Amino acid sequence: MQAEQKLRASLKEIDDLKAALDEHAIVAITDPQGKIIYVNDKFCAISKFSREELLGQDHRIINSGHHPKEFIRDLWTTITHGKVWKGEIKNKAKDGSFYWVDTTVVPFLNKDGKPRQYIAIRTDITERKVAEMAASWLAAVVESSDDAIISKTPDGTITSWNRGAEKIFGYTAEECIGESMLMLFPPERVGEEPELLARIKRGERVEHFETVRTTKSGKLIDVSVTLSPIRNNRDEIIGASKIARDITERKAAEAAMRESEERFRTMANSMSQLAWIARADGFIHWYNQRWFEYTGTTSAQMEGWGWQRVHDPQRLPEVMAQWTEAIAAGQPFEMEFPLRGADGLFRRFLTRAQPFKNAAGQVEQWFGTNTDVDELKRVEQEIKNLNAELEQRVAMRTAELQAANQELEAFSYSVSHDLRAPLRAVNGFAGIVLEDFSSQLPEEGKCYLERIRNGGQRMGELIDDLLSFSRLSRQPMNRQPVDSVKIVRDVLDELKPQQDDRQIEWRIMELPPCMADSALLKQVWVNLLSNAIKYTRDRKPAIVEVGCTQENGGNVYFVRDNGTGFDMQYAYKLFGVFQRLHRTDEFEGTGVGLAIAQRIVHRHGGRVWVEAKLDRGATFYFTLEGENKL
Amino acid sequence: MNKTNEVEILLVEDNPDDLDMTLRALRKAHLVNRIQTVRDGAEALEFIFCEGAFAGRNFDNPPKVIMLDLKLPKIDGMEVLKRIKSDVRTKMIPVVILTSSKEQRDVIESYNLGVNSYIVKPVNFEGFSAAVQELGMYWLLHNQPPKT
Repeated sequence: MQAEQKLRASLKEIDDLKAALDEHAIVAITDPQGKIIYVNDKFCAISKFSREELLGQDHRIINSGHHPKEFIRDLWTTITHGKVWKGEIKNKAKDGSFYWVDTTVVPFLNKDGKPRQYIAIRTDITERKVAEMAASWLAAVVESSDDAIISKTPDGTITSWNRGAEKIFGYTAEECIGESMLMLFPPERVGEEPELLARIKRGERVEHFETVRTTKSGKLIDVSVTLSPIRNNRDEIIGASKIARDITERKAAEAAMRESEERFRTMANSMSQLAWIARADGFIHWYNQRWFEYTGTTSAQMEGWGWQRVHDPQRLPEVMAQWTEAIAAGQPFEMEFPLRGADGLFRRFLTRAQPFKNAAGQVEQWFGTNTDVDELKRVEQEIKNLNAELEQRVAMRTAELQAANQELEAFSYSVSHDLRAPLRAVNGFAGIVLEDFSSQLPEEGKCYLERIRNGGQRMGELIDDLLSFSRLSRQPMNRQPVDSVKIVRDVLDELKPQQDDRQIEWRIMELPPCMADSALLKQVWVNLLSNAIKYTRDRKPAIVEVGCTQENGGNVYFVRDNGTGFDMQYAYKLFGVFQRLHRTDEFEGTGVGLAIAQRIVHRHGGRVWVEAKLDRGATFYFTLEGENKL
Repeated sequence: MNKTNEVEILLVEDNPDDLDMTLRALRKAHLVNRIQTVRDGAEALEFIFCEGAFAGRNFDNPPKVIMLDLKLPKIDGMEVLKRIKSDVRTKMIPVVILTSSKEQRDVIESYNLGVNSYIVKPVNFEGFSAAVQELGMYWLLHNQPPKT
């Protein structure tokens, strides 16, 4: 009886204990094979499975797959050996969510010492685990940050130091933790710290405070610092977090930018053009000094769209239309329009505006220049006028020349026709008298009549030569390759009658071909060669040499004779019309042949000259421009 | 056919000196008997086309040669030549230009219009006489005209 009471009491105690356990813990009991044979309500609640779903299953039903195989094997090895296993396990609930449980598995042994069943008692630690994970993430973030993330106590003692801080300042965490923040301050900045600490103590944040700090190597660096108070859960300020960023490069870039801008402004101010900068929308926010000097305006008057007041109101709508169009299209702007100067007078300017685009191709700003083209335009106009005038004058002169030419032609035609008829009468009737009335005339009379005839004859020759000379300049030129040797041979054939009973030794050398009007050139050779024949008349033997030499890279043709020659002091007369160095009764001729030769050579752009000595022969030289181009 | 009335040479010449010298040269060569002289282009055309004072002529008896000066009063020689050579009734008549002009354009134009000969009157007396005489001989005696 007593034993029964004792048993009952102890059973009650067990029930109470179990009730207490169920109240606190997640409990499951499995058989030696791991099959679940008991779960309490808490197990069902956390796993979100019903008791019926769990019983008869093993623990794989809540396996999260988080733990490695070795972890599970270790658990089983421990408990099958009858030992208690403790650990933290991540499980998966029926709805797929995860939960963490602190687990103790206790094997119950039979009398042989083999596990009879296992009882697992678990506590939900999900919340703690999540917090732990978040903390470790945070730590990783802090560690991997390029910014220096430092914490310090309210009195400025360093309490944490990340890798970013190590990189920026050069000190390791060990070197800094426990030290005063002042170790990073250059002497002249030490005064900042009490101020910063005071603000932290007041609970204020300090954002993007730009200052200078020293690295371990003593280098000064620009930093941007953000300080926030750290509070404990009683809202007391227990320290400060400090994020510092190295902005040395940014500062340097800013300085470089400022310097470049300064340079740009200096340049823009020193150039002779008016210049300005506009925003993407066309609002002009900067003008160079030249603009203000020229327009006599102020920056306040000009800002934005104020420039319209220095424009010609007549042209302004057109300017506005084109400028707004350029802005809308983001295309370069170019236009010429007048701008009013400080003196109230308008001058013409060529205006160009170039859009500056960012990487995305959007216009960031416009850079514009106005170049004074007034003088240029005026000169341009002047040149145009001058050209027009010149053209008009040329046209007038051409017309005059044409008229003169026509007159000359009419003149020579009439000379050719009308002067010859009376000459023919003079000559003819003198001849008729001599022929028909010779017997009735004294010898002296006949002689005079003969002279009349000769005079008429000579005048006829003069007229003919003069006409052929004047015809030369009117005749059009037809330049083509000419075989000089052939042309000389042809001329000599033609001149055969002039040398019938003469002994002339011809020395014709190699003659290069040339570019010339062959009919005109032939006349030159005729005149030079017939002269050579004529003026060697009393030489035995007469020697005439025809050749070509080189002078300044050009061909110089020449005809040399051993004839009568002349005194070089009269050479200048030689090529003039009707100029002669011999009397007609010595050597016949009209004095036109060399003038003709010279005119032909000149029309070819060449030169003709002579070397001679009295009684020692003469050499005539000539060149033809362009003969080398053959 | 009344051969004696037939004009063998039509001489168109306005200059009395040249006319006299030409006639003298022809006379000396015994070619003078059937010469008709006219003193300007209009008269020449009247003769050739049987008009005005020469309306009694007919086209069946053309001169054997026309000696034509270029520079003539009223209608110039070139125009006369053109009219002769562009009319089927007259274009067979040989025309010799006898002129003072050596101008190439005159020579070329005359040949273009179909002249039969172009003679420049020499200034020299003997040359002139010889040229006129040879010309007369050639066209009157040696040349074979087409049968009309």
